[in-house]
Amino acid sequence: MLKMVQMSKQLGDFHLADVSLEINDGEYFVVLGPTGTGKTVVLETIAGMYQPDQGSIIYNDQNLPDLYPEHRQIGFVYQDYALFPHLTVKENIIFGAKIKKFPIDEIQKKLDQMVEMLGIGHLLHRYPSTLSGGEQQRTALARALITSPKILLLDEPLSALDPRSKEVFQQELKRIHQRLKNITIHVTHDFNEAIFLADRIGIMHKGKLVQVGTPKEIFENPASDFVANFLGVEHRSKKKDRQLFCMSL
Amino acid sequence: MMQKKGINTVFTAIIAIFIALLTGFIISAISMIFMKGFPDLWTSLFNKEIQFAIKLSFYTSVISTLMCIIFSVPIAYGMVRMQFWGKKFVNTVLEMPMALPPIVAGVALLIIFGNTNFGRFLSELGLDFVFSVKGIILAQFFVNVPYMLRVLKATIQNIDSRFEFVARTLGCNRMQAFFKITLPLAKNGLVAGIVITWARAIGEFGAALMLAGATRLKTETLPISLFLNMSTGDLKLAMASATILIIISLVSLFVFQYLDGNQSNQSRLGC
Repeated sequence: MLKMVQMSKQLGDFHLADVSLEINDGEYFVVLGPTGTGKTVVLETIAGMYQPDQGSIIYNDQNLPDLYPEHRQIGFVYQDYALFPHLTVKENIIFGAKIKKFPIDEIQKKLDQMVEMLGIGHLLHRYPSTLSGGEQQRTALARALITSPKILLLDEPLSALDPRSKEVFQQELKRIHQRLKNITIHVTHDFNEAIFLADRIGIMHKGKLVQVGTPKEIFENPASDFVANFLGVEHRSKKKDRQLFCMSL
Repeated sequence: MMQKKGINTVFTAIIAIFIALLTGFIISAISMIFMKGFPDLWTSLFNKEIQFAIKLSFYTSVISTLMCIIFSVPIAYGMVRMQFWGKKFVNTVLEMPMALPPIVAGVALLIIFGNTNFGRFLSELGLDFVFSVKGIILAQFFVNVPYMLRVLKATIQNIDSRFEFVARTLGCNRMQAFFKITLPLAKNGLVAGIVITWARAIGEFGAALMLAGATRLKTETLPISLFLNMSTGDLKLAMASATILIIISLVSLFVFQYLDGNQSNQSRLGC
């Protein structure tokens, strides 16, 4: 279980305030909220780009802020993928496995697994600048997954894709998660993406986590006007409409 | 309408005249050296003094450039990526030699390494910088290291720090992330920095003159040779040195501009 307890971080004018959250093993958790609410900061603090000013992030009895990013067993996929431009797709993917000194035959086996799972065999010798958004996305995901991270952090991974690729990739994410069963935290501002993928959703607003629940719970009982407005429903009214929508989930 | 068009034409013409004037002035100044220097360049290359100056210039500039690399790479990285108390002050200090006239930098070096306990201590260890070839290297290093630093800082700033962070999540420690990601991505900027620093080192005169002096066939680099031969009226040799220096500068400038242009086209995310 990954447990954040009153995690706070001040970054310039932005303040991430007292985020407390428990995410179960094997859970697909989506952090949902408008742009600029601190969703990425949450991921980057878990991954170790920032140290929280206060609070703790516990995973398997270990306080993650006490560990360097390289010891946290985390996979990170950025919105714009951040593929290493000077390395080929293959070199990008096996980067982590080589750094962690996996035996050569294991690296090959893992690479084959990734290639099979994500269908990127034909791209291996190309450089990132020659890939489409979807291809970069698959490469970034393969790179993050090759070291079998316990926690996978996805920062708006679908936002740079066209609607068709987005739909396909959404299904792939679900399939991959069902196969690997690691903790996945996925950040997005797209509610449809969230209800399709999430076991539970956390809604963020102005650096605060304002509501956590299953998609159905959140949709049926938005905790505030903000949540209701953001989801496109009205708070404590038009309940019938909401119920109709929930039945379709 | 016509009047407005007329004003615009005059404005464009004024800018064109300024550009033409300065470009023409620079081209004619450089051509004069070439015209005077080229006819005797080949014979001058066999002159013992010019050969000595070329060898010494290459030797000193290569070593001082290497020293600039050794110091600038970690310092530039630290100044861009690390936060520490007094960083602005340190940055100003590191850029200070750039603001000093080279001759003043030379005097400063002469004082430190000359008649002080520190200078005498180094001298006892065999590191004699005053009136020696080592002094030329030190002067070139002192004057040029801020330029190398500036190019490298700009290069590293241009590389998105998230590349390194992703590398860290994949298992790299800070040093591995630096050597495997940042340094390869900074390659063009580093080479551009090396070229410009080396070209400046070859042409370094003021600080080297003060610290190492101008002794024929001892501390005689190309610019010192130019200075000595101009002083004694040997125009042929002086122009030979000047021509070689200009050729080196021009080639370096073109390489620098080519590499610098390439650098800014990569290493940025989300563009």
